[in-house]
Amino acid sequence: MTTVSACNEDELYGAGLAALGASPGMLRKFLDGYGAREAWEAIARGRHRADPGRRWRTKAVPQLLDAVGESCAQAGVSVMILGQPGYPPALADDGQAPAVLFGLGEVATLEGKPRVAVVGTRSATPYGLGVATELGRDLTSSGVVVVSGGSLGIDAAAHGGALGVDGGTATVAVLGTALDAPASRSQSALRVALGQRGTVLSEIPPGAHSARWWFAVRNRVIAALAHVVVVVECHHGGGSLNTVSAALARGVTVTAVPGSIRSPASAGTNRLLVEGAAPVRDVDDVLTAVELPVVGHCDITPPRRPPARPRPPRPGATTRLGARASRVARALDQDPATLDVVVRRSGLGLGEVSLALEELSDAGLAVGERGWWSRPRS
Amino acid sequence: MLARIPSATLHGVDGRPVSVEVHVSAGLPGFTVVGLPDAAVRESRDRVRAALLSSRLSWPSRRVTVNLAPSGVRKTGAGLDLPIAIGLLVAAEALPSRCVEDVGFVGELGLDGSVRPVPGIASLVASIDARDIVVPVAASAEAALVAGERVRTASTVAEVVAALRGQGKWADTSGVVAGAPTANEPDLLEVRGQVVARRALEIAAAGGHHLLLVGAPGSGKTMLATRLPGILPDLDRDEALEVLRIHSAAGTSAGPGTFPSRPPFRAPHHGATEVAVVGGGTSWLRPGEISLAHAGVLFLDELGEFPATVLDSLRQPLEEQVIRVRRARGAIDFPARFLLVGAMNPCPCGEGGLPGACRCTEVMRRRYLRRLSAPLLDRFDLAITLGRPDVEDLLGGPPGDSSEVVARRVVQARAMARERGVRCNAELRFDAVDGPCTLSADGAALLERRLRSGSLSARGLHRVRRVAQTIADLDGDRGVDERHVAEALQLRSARTALVSEPGR
Repeated sequence: MTTVSACNEDELYGAGLAALGASPGMLRKFLDGYGAREAWEAIARGRHRADPGRRWRTKAVPQLLDAVGESCAQAGVSVMILGQPGYPPALADDGQAPAVLFGLGEVATLEGKPRVAVVGTRSATPYGLGVATELGRDLTSSGVVVVSGGSLGIDAAAHGGALGVDGGTATVAVLGTALDAPASRSQSALRVALGQRGTVLSEIPPGAHSARWWFAVRNRVIAALAHVVVVVECHHGGGSLNTVSAALARGVTVTAVPGSIRSPASAGTNRLLVEGAAPVRDVDDVLTAVELPVVGHCDITPPRRPPARPRPPRPGATTRLGARASRVARALDQDPATLDVVVRRSGLGLGEVSLALEELSDAGLAVGERGWWSRPRS
Repeated sequence: MLARIPSATLHGVDGRPVSVEVHVSAGLPGFTVVGLPDAAVRESRDRVRAALLSSRLSWPSRRVTVNLAPSGVRKTGAGLDLPIAIGLLVAAEALPSRCVEDVGFVGELGLDGSVRPVPGIASLVASIDARDIVVPVAASAEAALVAGERVRTASTVAEVVAALRGQGKWADTSGVVAGAPTANEPDLLEVRGQVVARRALEIAAAGGHHLLLVGAPGSGKTMLATRLPGILPDLDRDEALEVLRIHSAAGTSAGPGTFPSRPPFRAPHHGATEVAVVGGGTSWLRPGEISLAHAGVLFLDELGEFPATVLDSLRQPLEEQVIRVRRARGAIDFPARFLLVGAMNPCPCGEGGLPGACRCTEVMRRRYLRRLSAPLLDRFDLAITLGRPDVEDLLGGPPGDSSEVVARRVVQARAMARERGVRCNAELRFDAVDGPCTLSADGAALLERRLRSGSLSARGLHRVRRVAQTIADLDGDRGVDERHVAEALQLRSARTALVSEPGR
């Protein structure tokens, strides 16, 4: 990793070009056929081929260069320029690759390993969060790099699952904000962990403000980095579908986790399944999908299931549970239910049901969340 | 010539005796009121003058000084009109002083000489130390509740003077009307399904436990909450008097002469200000909604929409059952022992309860819940999640017990609480929970498991034990066993979802 206090001249000018605030496409044109310094000076003098109207001339001032250089140094951010050594080869071949990329953490971890993007909605259900955490954890322990957007909900759960594996592969977050942008309180712990033990990428220079469209634009980077995209939960018309279309445009396999047809948070993913995306039930399904595109240079270790989690016994299969508890457990077999519904389905009194639920949750056979009871995912 | 007439003024919900001293002397005609009068008292000069003249009584063209003693107490309201008018007549020697010996007066005067009621009659009458007390006709029933046979009533100042002179009769004191029991209280019979919520209401009523209802719009939160007063026991005489005094002082009496027999139900809108909720005000310190809900139910619908300052101002009265309003012009303690029922949506879109149905982002959800501080949520012993009622139940499921049946169980449970020396189990002290309340071994083991797993705090432990005690009382069991504890734990489960950090 290059520390940026030792940021070389080219990288400094590259950061400066990114700080001009041009679109990713324009930035590529700036550097097309120019060195970074060359391009900067041509723009500053109003002689750049891609800027005949001299629109960018007034912005390319030395102060901007100084400011962005200082921000990079302060945040400890490394600058990568397309076509130069240090730029991740995984991304270099992409037709829409960012011309300038900013990174925190070990960027080299991206190479030579299968990469899977785990993406989804920010307003996820406990089900989606659970699945994303499991996928993040199991993929990482199988030697797969988990790529996501570093956002709330599914993204955070996937990163969190990946970071929870000791000595696993790193996880990569591609942000839609600058790397030094203040994270929300709930996000800051994850952001710190990602910076220390994972990799964080962004095409927005440190110190710059983000805009809403950056979030959609960065999705192409996630798609370009991934060999397979897994959508865990996504609303109808959700932002993850943007990642999906970017992936499809690049021929990247798209898979989706099926959800309840009654859950709006699964409307988008279920739709993807109808349209032909491969369903994902667990890490095995993802690994099967990964082996196809990266066949030959893939070193996936067969998934190691954590032995500490034995499958919970079916209710009634053991003699340990009383008649009361198994009756209540059967009432949970359907979709999540409030206490009221459990009482009605089981036909028992409230006191009996309460006691049974306490027993079941002690045995790991029932999960209560936000007042709704369900059976844990086995 | 000097006259001294006993009367009273309102200080919060209590009356303070005031002695109205009127002095008429030679000098330039004039009228001065001294002794910290407020605007309404100062204006009484014009009302008194017009009332006396239109009643064909004399108005002295001499120098009149009215002193309201004790002069350090602020006098508010128009209730001093009548004593000033009578004092004036006595001082001007238009009325012999023996006629008003040991007679107190309260009432506002109209320009035509009519005597009108004022807020807080019950408290005012209670604080006047006199043999007879003259009050407006409209307030006679209320006054009779506290002063009984000592009340004299009249509808005009002329009638008052005639009766005092012995030339006329006092108006009839109309009989006391008790508030009709459960007359317009909605019945639990109308609630279909919602077994858990009905049970929670019953426990809340029996144990005085504050209740939080979390549920999507249309799940029946308001419907349930409005049925809580209907299953509370009738007010006893002391409570009824307190309620009467508070509502009378606030000018929100149920009606003239109604003795409140049923617990009040107050449901302020979430736009209410802190002063409106806890009490206070600029001209005179008025009781707020929490005092108006004294001995009854305070229902805060859309709890998450109330300003955080309003919600946090509830914490102290919830603990101490009294609200201490402190202002530059005075300090007043209003009684505020109420049963708090909160209702809220699980998140801004309202669908957040059902897993997967919510469209709110984590940020929106957190911002919504941020208003509810953990200390406030801690005060809800019961917190339940409501789902929308089942279609089958709505279209004719078996009806549950009526309010009357439930109220009977509540009365029995409260009787058991009284044996422990408290009004209801929510007031049980921590040592009392450990003392006279026996907890079975498996119940204790369940609580210990929850404590060890961190899902129950030390404060929560006592609350769960109190609720479990109420459940045992309702079931008619002497000891608290595992089942009661489990039910108490389940009936506060919605709270954990609101307090714990949502998401992972």
